[in-house]
Amino acid sequence: MSLRNLTALAVMAAVSLACEDRERHADGPVIDDTGHPVSLVRSPTRIVSLAPGHTELLFAVGAGDRVVGRTRWCDHPPAVATIPSVGDGLNPNVESILARDPDLVVFYASASNEAAIARLEQLGIPTISLLTDDLDDLMRAADLLGTITGQKATSDSLIDWLSREIASLRASRPGGSLPTALMVAWDNPPIVIGNASFLSQIAELAGAHNAFADVDRPSLTVSMETIVERDADLILIASDSGIPAWAERPEWRVVPAVRDRRFVVVHGTEFSRPSFRAPAAIRRVRAALQEWHRR
Amino acid sequence: MTRWVGLLAAAAAALLLGVVVGPADLPLDAVWDGLLGRGDQATQAIVRDLRMPRALLAFFVGGSLAVTGAALQALVRNPLADPYLLGLSGGAGLGAVAAIVFQVGGVWAVPLAALGGALLAIALVYRLALVAGAVLDTRVLLLSGVVVGAFAASLMGAIIAISPAPEVRNALLWLLGGFDAASWRAFGVFTAYAAVPLLVIYRQNRPLDLLALGEEPASFLGADVERLKRVLYVAASLLTAAAVSVSGIIGFVGLVIPHAVRLLWGHLHRSLLPAAFLLGGVLLLVADAIARTAFAPLSLPVGVVTALIGVPVFVLLVRRWAK
Repeated sequence: MSLRNLTALAVMAAVSLACEDRERHADGPVIDDTGHPVSLVRSPTRIVSLAPGHTELLFAVGAGDRVVGRTRWCDHPPAVATIPSVGDGLNPNVESILARDPDLVVFYASASNEAAIARLEQLGIPTISLLTDDLDDLMRAADLLGTITGQKATSDSLIDWLSREIASLRASRPGGSLPTALMVAWDNPPIVIGNASFLSQIAELAGAHNAFADVDRPSLTVSMETIVERDADLILIASDSGIPAWAERPEWRVVPAVRDRRFVVVHGTEFSRPSFRAPAAIRRVRAALQEWHRR
Repeated sequence: MTRWVGLLAAAAAALLLGVVVGPADLPLDAVWDGLLGRGDQATQAIVRDLRMPRALLAFFVGGSLAVTGAALQALVRNPLADPYLLGLSGGAGLGAVAAIVFQVGGVWAVPLAALGGALLAIALVYRLALVAGAVLDTRVLLLSGVVVGAFAASLMGAIIAISPAPEVRNALLWLLGGFDAASWRAFGVFTAYAAVPLLVIYRQNRPLDLLALGEEPASFLGADVERLKRVLYVAASLLTAAAVSVSGIIGFVGLVIPHAVRLLWGHLHRSLLPAAFLLGGVLLLVADAIARTAFAPLSLPVGVVTALIGVPVFVLLVRRWAK
């Protein structure tokens, strides 16, 4: 299913369900990803979203028309461009949020947001904190947001669709031994992507094995010789600027995959955060990997 | 004599350690084969292209920082002086963070920007300290160093606060120091550059002894104090700026190694400077080996480790000396 069909489906579902669902209150207390109960009296109508992934998710579940504030990093879907920005999403400016007169503020679950959350709750504005670091997080977050915005039917069908897509991608993964992929987050000190990151999840589903899959954290600082020792088959780069400048540095050229220029490059914001665009992103990486195999 | 044999042996052992030890668990004979250019490609690359230049670079940077610290402590006659005291760390940090945040392109953008920032800070501090015409007042030098450093740090803070890029966190990690950018080219460039200020400082060893007595006694005893101060400040600062650009800001080596050498072997700069060079090199090399291997495959900023080893050793020395 293409992205456009998916959006159409979401819009249809939203329109058909909006009338009845918006009236209904969330059943029972909703507990967010920081263990904090969400104290909503009625379904929110003015939502400030403080993470690009959360904004995208609100649009996907059909509550996009209720988003009245976003971060300056929110860039998808294109409709977010008309929504006023409140600045940064982490450690945000409480005054800018209040200026949007919200009845729900959606945070990324992070310790750096605690002060802003406490301040808003004190002022009687409900907040919810969500983690969206991988696809499992995404489905849980979609369920929570669908529930509290009264769009549960839409979120249920999206989650169902995503689970089936992932299962089918997993089933159709190329057989045999997978190539190992190195994903570099930073060059000096060298920071690489570990197992607990979305990019690693994408690579695994697309048909490559993260060279640092044994380290269960989003990223890790390593030394150059560890990277050489891992001897990855290819370097997966998800960046709009293409092959990075560090590939020319002498210490990086000691890495065989860099020296032999075994780069697989993909562009787009769908690689930077989990979203319902993930199946399409995975297919693009898979196609790029197949092209690499043919080289 | 035994002192020099001991120091040279320690330096040789540390260099060997830097080549033998690493997060890649290579057996000794594989390292040996790699050194001789035999065995598999990966081992050869790790031993010859990563560990060797890294060990040598760490040694030379450690030595340079210790010599700089010794010279600056004598220059400003303050035991707290270290290579970064005179505004350098702030200037270098500002340069590096600006290069990263404003996305200055190019392979060497960050180290060159750090060098540029440090040189700018040096020029500013030097100009401020020349209060009375051509006379370099070391008290004003100290003050203007601290002030310029604080100013640069505030500018850096402002850039970080308004720039959202996650890269900023990584810029700060780079500043904490490390030798991940080590290569034969980096080592070659650094040593060729560092040799000049190191020799310049060493040649001043006798006047430095005199300067320790105070500026007036030194000039009575025939030292050209004004020229000496300028030469020392410029040489020490240029040396530190180069160290920052290849390895970030590595604290502690330049502060404590000179004191340790004075406690062990006295105050004469003719032997203090080379001994500080060797011991500084050994400390930084050992610290780097630990930083790379203690939590492998994770690696630590080397500046964290220099303090973790250096502080207890220094405390032991002070206790022994106090008895």
